[in-house]
Amino acid sequence: MTKKDKKKRVLIVDDEEDMIWSLQKNLPNENLQVIIFTASSGEEALSILEKTKIDLIVTDIRMPGISGIDLLIAVRNTYPDIEVIVMTAFPSSESKAEVMEKGGLRFIEKPFDIKEMRDSVHSALKMDSHFEGKMTGIRLTDIVQIHHLSQASTVLRINDDGREGVIYFSEGTIVHATCDDLVGEEAFYKLMSFKGGTMETFYMDKFPESTISTPVDVLLLKGTLREDERDGNDDDLKDFDPELSPASEMLDEEGPPAAIYEPELEPINDEVYPAETNNEEKEEDMDELKELLTEFTNIPGVNTACLVGRDGFLLHSVALSGIDAEMIGAIASSGFGASEAMGKQLQKGGMSMTMVEYDNGPVMFSPVGSEAFLVIIADKDANLGMIRLKIKKHARDIEQKAGI
Amino acid sequence: MEEGKILDIAHVSFLDMIKVMITMSGAANAKGTLIRNALSTADKIKEVSYDTFDDYLAAIENTTNPIAMIEGKSSHEGEHVFGLASCPFGPSIKNYMSVFEKMPDGYADFTAEFNKPSRVTDMYRVGEGAGVSPFCSVHQPMRSAVAEKITIDGKKIKIYQLGCKSGAGKKGFAEKWIDESGVSKDVVDKVLDNHMCCYFLKIVE
Repeated sequence: MTKKDKKKRVLIVDDEEDMIWSLQKNLPNENLQVIIFTASSGEEALSILEKTKIDLIVTDIRMPGISGIDLLIAVRNTYPDIEVIVMTAFPSSESKAEVMEKGGLRFIEKPFDIKEMRDSVHSALKMDSHFEGKMTGIRLTDIVQIHHLSQASTVLRINDDGREGVIYFSEGTIVHATCDDLVGEEAFYKLMSFKGGTMETFYMDKFPESTISTPVDVLLLKGTLREDERDGNDDDLKDFDPELSPASEMLDEEGPPAAIYEPELEPINDEVYPAETNNEEKEEDMDELKELLTEFTNIPGVNTACLVGRDGFLLHSVALSGIDAEMIGAIASSGFGASEAMGKQLQKGGMSMTMVEYDNGPVMFSPVGSEAFLVIIADKDANLGMIRLKIKKHARDIEQKAGI
Repeated sequence: MEEGKILDIAHVSFLDMIKVMITMSGAANAKGTLIRNALSTADKIKEVSYDTFDDYLAAIENTTNPIAMIEGKSSHEGEHVFGLASCPFGPSIKNYMSVFEKMPDGYADFTAEFNKPSRVTDMYRVGEGAGVSPFCSVHQPMRSAVAEKITIDGKKIKIYQLGCKSGAGKKGFAEKWIDESGVSKDVVDKVLDNHMCCYFLKIVE
């Protein structure tokens, strides 16, 4: 066998040509001697896997046709020894990555530094040699989390020794589930109790019905706790990703987590801008706006959510006591404005969601319409994926309620 | 650039700074910064009480009135409508124009931004068409904020910016504040024939 033949083989799968080109060119170096294969779709990747021995797959999650998730499932079912790194635009914290790794799955957040990717590849390939032949399949909780984080609209079918169930995702939210003769949440919890089996995803234009409105993180937590009770031990809690979920004390059988999680927050807009015309409709909108902002501060680790005009004047905020939201708005506007001006100068188009990381946690910014932006202040260990999802989910409503 | 002219850099550097602010962080943010700056200045003004409206007018005449202190003497045109003959930024603009012949780029965008409806312009009842240059975003909110420091007969006062006139003679009207104040647009138009700025003073009952 020649020296070249001993090189590990890495298959990069992404429908973005620039990404493929960049990884193909930059990934291998002196310390990472690998042979790169590339595929611009899941279909092409499966075709390469049939003909070529691959040690590691680095795949994007959102691709037309066979998605990264479909590919992942196919690989786990057919080539269980192949390591997989999933590239996603939805970040996961260190602990989340750790949990995922235990299930044989690695995440890397887009955009990433090439060194970071090299480290991941290096680590994945080393791990492969260490655990060769002992990898277990990916778990249902992992798959559910991936669908949720990637805002997938898809159907996940699970088979376990003759039993079958289906989970329907609409933009990452679980809207329906069936299992045996069960429907809705109970079906989902039943599926969570499956100890093994196979999984496949497929697309469906229309879901048969909508039977679930509980947030995914709460479903997962409840499912895990039920399994705990059933098994009579706490070990299964490791299956649950705490980063993706509100704190366990937020779990409320009667209502949403917001009812329990009450950080020391104060809405301050009314004092800052007394309404000139206090009609009921406006007040209702303001109440609803406050509720929307509170959705962010209900995420553990998020302590402040501000809606700020492009001119830096605060429109509304739910802020941790002691935070000068008015001043934060003014300063954030400078940063946001400067970043936008840079994009304009570089002809990069409008600005989308962005984040500034500090030692003690990130601050996220996101435009809301053309006249305002959101500022979300979080602690170091806050679930950034959840913040992003909520921004995407609520940006339009916030714009509407704020009348901007 | 015209030769032989002396540039009053103490003032005109401010004019160029506005342009730099627009380039560096956009017109909206630059507007916010200038308004915030104006409010900060207004905040330093001490509170003043007048027993009567006539006392208030007398204080304008002898420039002890806080509003007169920031913009010069205005004239009472009747029914609490005031006209200001000279824009406080007039000399700086004139000096800049005499040397560079035209105002810096980006001023039109900035002025349009100031005239857009926003919470802060609502709060101080300024803009909404009454802005004719970026300087209006300093002057108008500053006057409104200073007015919050004044009481007449123990009652608070509010300023409504009704209109403004550019150096080139173009009039800008704040339809929203004209409607809300109940002052006729014709009156505002007439005041602006002989003044650069027109506003209404409301004594809050």
